[in-house]
Parts: sequence; structure tokens; C-alpha cells
Amino acid sequence: MDDISSLLFDAAERLLIDLSAESAPDETQYLLNWRKIEEMGLPLALVDTERGGIGLEPRDAFELIRVCGRHVTPFPIVETMLSNRFAADAGTKPNCDAVSELRDLSERQREFAALGRAVQMTGALETILSMTVEHVQDRCQFGRPLAKFQVIQHSLARLAGEVAAAAAAGDHAVSKLAEGGDASLMATAIARTRIGEACSMAASTAHQMHGAIGYAREHRLQLYTTALWKWRDEFGSQASWTRLIGRMVLAKGRDSLWPMVTAA
Amino acid sequence: MTRITFPAPVESEVAEKLRAEVRAFLVAAIADRAPLVRAESWNGFDRKFSRALGRRGWLGMTWPKEYGGHERSAFERYVVVEETLAAGAPVAAHWIADRQSGPTLLRYGSESQKREILPRIAAGECVFCIGMSEPDAGSDLASIRTRAERQGDGSWVLNGTKLWTTYAHEADYMILLCRTSGDTSDRHNGVSQLLIDLKKVSGISIRPIFDLMDQHHFNEVHFEDVKLPDSALLGEEGQGWKQVMGELAYERSGPERFLSSIQLLIELVGVLQSRECTAAQTAIGRLFAHLVTLRHMSRGVAALLEAGENPATHAAIVKDLGASFEQELPEIARGLVDEAPDIHAKNDFAAVLAYTMMAAPAFSLRGGTREILRGIIARQIGLR
Ligand SMILES: Cc1cc2nc3c(=O)[nH]c(=O)nc-3n(C[C@H](O)[C@H](O)[C@H](O)COP(=O)(O)OP(=O)(O)OC[C@H]3O[C@@H](n4cnc5c(N)ncnc54)[C@H](O)[C@@H]3O)c2cc1C
Repeated sequence: MDDISSLLFDAAERLLIDLSAESAPDETQYLLNWRKIEEMGLPLALVDTERGGIGLEPRDAFELIRVCGRHVTPFPIVETMLSNRFAADAGTKPNCDAVSELRDLSERQREFAALGRAVQMTGALETILSMTVEHVQDRCQFGRPLAKFQVIQHSLARLAGEVAAAAAAGDHAVSKLAEGGDASLMATAIARTRIGEACSMAASTAHQMHGAIGYAREHRLQLYTTALWKWRDEFGSQASWTRLIGRMVLAKGRDSLWPMVTAA
Repeated sequence: MTRITFPAPVESEVAEKLRAEVRAFLVAAIADRAPLVRAESWNGFDRKFSRALGRRGWLGMTWPKEYGGHERSAFERYVVVEETLAAGAPVAAHWIADRQSGPTLLRYGSESQKREILPRIAAGECVFCIGMSEPDAGSDLASIRTRAERQGDGSWVLNGTKLWTTYAHEADYMILLCRTSGDTSDRHNGVSQLLIDLKKVSGISIRPIFDLMDQHHFNEVHFEDVKLPDSALLGEEGQGWKQVMGELAYERSGPERFLSSIQLLIELVGVLQSRECTAAQTAIGRLFAHLVTLRHMSRGVAALLEAGENPATHAAIVKDLGASFEQELPEIARGLVDEAPDIHAKNDFAAVLAYTMMAAPAFSLRGGTREILRGIIARQIGLR
């Protein structure tokens, strides 16, 4: 990551924090805010500089997507970034309007988008973890913070482990994609599978630790958990990614298992 | 910061070249080991095999040459470690010494301890055991009662009992944690590590304890007025707690914490590979995703070790996730294959399944229980 990218990540993070303050902006507000997103150049972040974009290289592109995942907003920033990237690849002129759904993707584009979602999920997982840690430190019952109960500590330790595993799987798939070799498809499938599983555990643990307040629409936790429940099955369901790994491993068979692990 | 990140594994051409050499060596060296024997993983004991590894320069790999080491990187060592585990090679005769006793000696040992012992470990000729647990001190290691009293001439007299000591009956040396001053209420103060030459001193009795498979791996080791020279002290008197925590970081950080059941996964793939079955694809896909991710994380731990950092929390996460993964594996396998576990079966899958099922409970006990590991992680994220 170079200095310019890290400045962009910081600026984007600040903007996203502002944007996430409003959960249901009206139309004027929505357009006004989308202007701010445009001004920062986010819709064209993954487009080459020759085509008027920021031209982030793959690792940085995915880091920006992770930052977006940390702050769920009502704005389809990641979708728009991906859509413009694909348009630019196809030689179409990118534009800055918000795109909420990606259609007619080629196999390679679907893979790229699937990894984008995976990395976005790891961002959301980080937020769920820190939100939950904060909550159990603040909330007192039986005369002490929930965090003082060992059973709560252990649930959160497991959550932290899942979040770390998800991040590791995502990082690895991003570096395989950046390297551009054959191992990328398998690494993306592994990321989708492992991160998807972490999402299930994280959502249920976070809700359990928050109690009823986390189930209320007003609370931000549900923005993250409902997003994860949607994202983990987009651009190929989690089940389809998992089966793809299974098919590849079983096709090579018993004696290739370990070499496949070290090549993955 | 609540987020715990693992550094990206370092890809090294040298290490990958070494991988090919190790694989070629193992194909020939352990050709005669049946799947059930391979499933013993790091419990398999064979001094001859350890010496063969030593001759190739594959033990004590990262240590200085002057102590018999080879000054290679942690990544190269990792390759040897994971390849021998994945192949089901009998590594127990060097495992503990290469993993934790040697590094502890290197860090805290006196010059003469290092010169005398490290080259022998690197040659695969020196078996170590771990003298931590006692009848009344398991998870609560600070409550150990084994005690060494300093004599007027500087020597020690040792009394007490160590328990669950793996391969004490084969070992040449033990690194023992004991109290050297105060009492159990002093907790982390007043404990020290001693290096004990098990073959030379008298007053030690080693009694076998058979495990639930009727195998003899661990022991009760009793010390009665055992006289030890002044030079038996390892490191600093009274600093045993800090030293033993460092030793535990080595003990917990390796790939044996998620690779010890790989033989069962291999056999499971063997049974399922000819089936067109979505349940099998789903199960194998998921297990493979877990395994590969654990390996990335574990190689990240190796990178932290190489950088001189203390990866205690990272190691705890890998060990906790690894134990859960390995304990799930036999349950998933028996859900997919109509074959009763039977350690005497001719069928490799059935035999390996039986073995792994019975080995599994220990995965979340030895080297620090699941509960202790989760306590370490909880502390890191600010809850304790
Ligand atoms: C196969 C095997 C090999 C071993 N080899 C060695 C060896 O070579 N050398 C050696 O020194 N030791 C060895 N051990 C011992 C191992 O280190 C201990 O089993 C371990 O430290 C746990 O101690 P314990 O068995 O006394 O269980 P206990 O400490 O009595 O724990 C029993 C249960 O209570 C839980 N518990 C304890 N305290 C707490 C707490 N504060 N909060 C929540 N839960 C708690 C534990 O997590 C565990 O689930 C070996 C063990 C096994 C199984």
C-alpha cells in the first residue's frame, strides 16, 4: 500500500462514518451524499487512470472494499465500483451514477465480484467484533459488566478467532488474485467458504451477546448481520463455492490431497 | 484494537525447493508405514528416523552453526515440520527437543549446556520430555509443588512428582519447572527451570500411564531426593515462569495443532473420490477450506516468530481453531461413510477413523486446554 492509497482509505473511512450516521436519507439528502462519494472518486476507484479512474492496484482495491465493509451505508459504493471496473474492462465509458445491481457478468467478473463481497464481509466482521466487545464492556448485569463473565469472554474469544480466520482467508485470496496464476479460483472459493462460515457464527454470537437491543431496527448491529446474511450468498451461493472446492479435491483424489493443500 | 491480524505467509523459493527434497526423501524413508501407523502422527517414535533427519540437516535448522544448527529460516524449518507431519512420519523422538527444548536452551541455557546438548538434538540423538504438569497442577501451572532446595555447595535436591510426561520413558533429558523458593501462594515468583539428565541421576522413578488406546505415551515421574549439580539450573533462578511461557509459545505455535489427523482426511477423500455425491463435495470442500486457512494462519505465526515477535495470542487462535477442526473431522467422516470404526480392521478408513476418534479428546487438552487458550485470546481483546 502506498501513501496515496492510505490517504484515500483514511478519507474514505471518514466519509463512510459520516454517511453511516443517516440510516434512511430522503431523496435530496441521498443525492447530495452520493455527490460526496463521487467527489472522492470512489465510483471510479478500480478504473485505470487512463480512463479517468484512480487505478488502484488489486491489493489496494480490495483494501478499499474492506474499508467499505467496515461501514455499512445505504449507498451501493462497492457495487458501483465493480460495475465501473467491468465497464472499463469491456471498453464502455464508466459513469458515476449509483449502480445497485450487477448484471450479465462473465465468469471472470463474477469471480472478481465474489472475492469483492468476501473481502467486504471481512470488513463487516471486524466491525461486528469491535461493536460486540464494546457492548459487553458497557452493559452491566448482576452488578458487573458482561465482559467479566467467563462464558462471555469465551464466546468473544471464539468470535475473534473466526474473524481472524476470515481475514486470513480473504487476504490470501486477494494475493492469489494479484499474482494472477491458476490458484486464484480455488483461493476465492476457499475465502467464500471460510468467510461465509465465520459470518454465520459471528452474526449469531453478536446477537446473543447484545440481547434484545441488537434485534431492534434502531441498533446498528442488525445492519451488519442482515448485510452478511445477504452477501454470503451473492455472486454464487456459499454452498456452490464449497462444492466447487469439494469437486476439485475429489477429482484429484487421495494422494493429491496434501500437494493441493500446499499449492492452495 | 480488537482485530487480530495474521501476517501474510512468506513465499520463499528456497523453502519450496526444500519441500521437493523432503517429499522425495519421505517417499522412500517411510514407504513401509501403513495408514494406521501414519495416523499416529507426532506420537510415532523412531530414533533411527530422527537421526536420518538430523543427518540431512533438518533438525535444529534455525540455530547457529556453532551449536550444530544450520542457520536456515523459520520458513524452511516449517516446510520440514509440515511435510513430515503430513506424511505421517515418526517424528516423536525429536519433536519436543527440536520444537521447544532446543529453542529454550538456546535462549536461556549456559554456554556449556548449549555446547553439550544442542548439537546432539540437531543430530537427532537427544530425546526431551516436558516436565510441567503435576497431579495438582494442570491448567493452573503456577500451583506446582515439585521443589528443588539449594544446598550449601550450590547443588540442588529435588522432590516431587510430574504427571502426563510424554515419552519420559524414552527421554534423555527433561526440562522441569519447579519451585525453588517460597510456596504455591507466591504463584509466578520463586519458580525455576532445571535441566535434568534422566539417564545419569538416581532417585527418579518413571511409571507408565496407559492411555485409552492402551498405548504407553505418558508417564508419572517421581523425584525422591534427587541430587543435581549447580549447573542443572536453566536460565535464571526465579525466572522460571517467564521462561516457561516462552517455551509454551513454541509448544503451541506449530502445525501439529491442526495436521495431526490429516491421515483421516486422506482416507476420507480416498473413499469419497469415486462418488458423485453433493454431500461429500460439500463436506470435503468445507474441510479443505478450513485446513488451507489454518495453514495460512499458522505460516503467519512462523513469520511472527521469524520476526522475533511473541505470537502467543496468534498461536492460541490457531491451536483453538485447529483442535475444533480436528475433533470435528471424525464425526463428519462417520456421517458420510457407512463403515464402523475398528482399529483392527483391514480397511484403512475404518482403522484410521477408530484411531483418530480416540486421539481426538487430547487435541483440546495437551499444550493448553481450549478454555485456557480462550482466556488468552479474551485478554488480548481487552476483556480480562
Ligand atoms: C496426550 C497428553 C499428553 C500430555 N503430555 C504432557 C507432557 O509431556 N508434559 C506435561 O507437563 N503435561 C502434559 N500433558 C498435560 C496437559 O498439559 C494437561 O492435561 C493440561 O495442562 C490440563 O491440565 P489437567 O489435565 O490437569 O486438567 P485441569 O486443569 O484439571 O482441567 C480440567 C478441565 O477444566 C478446565 N479448566 C481448568 N481451569 C479452568 C478455568 N480457570 N476456567 C475454565 N475452565 C478451566 C480445563 O480447561 C479442562 O477442560 C499432556 C496431556 C495429554 C492429554
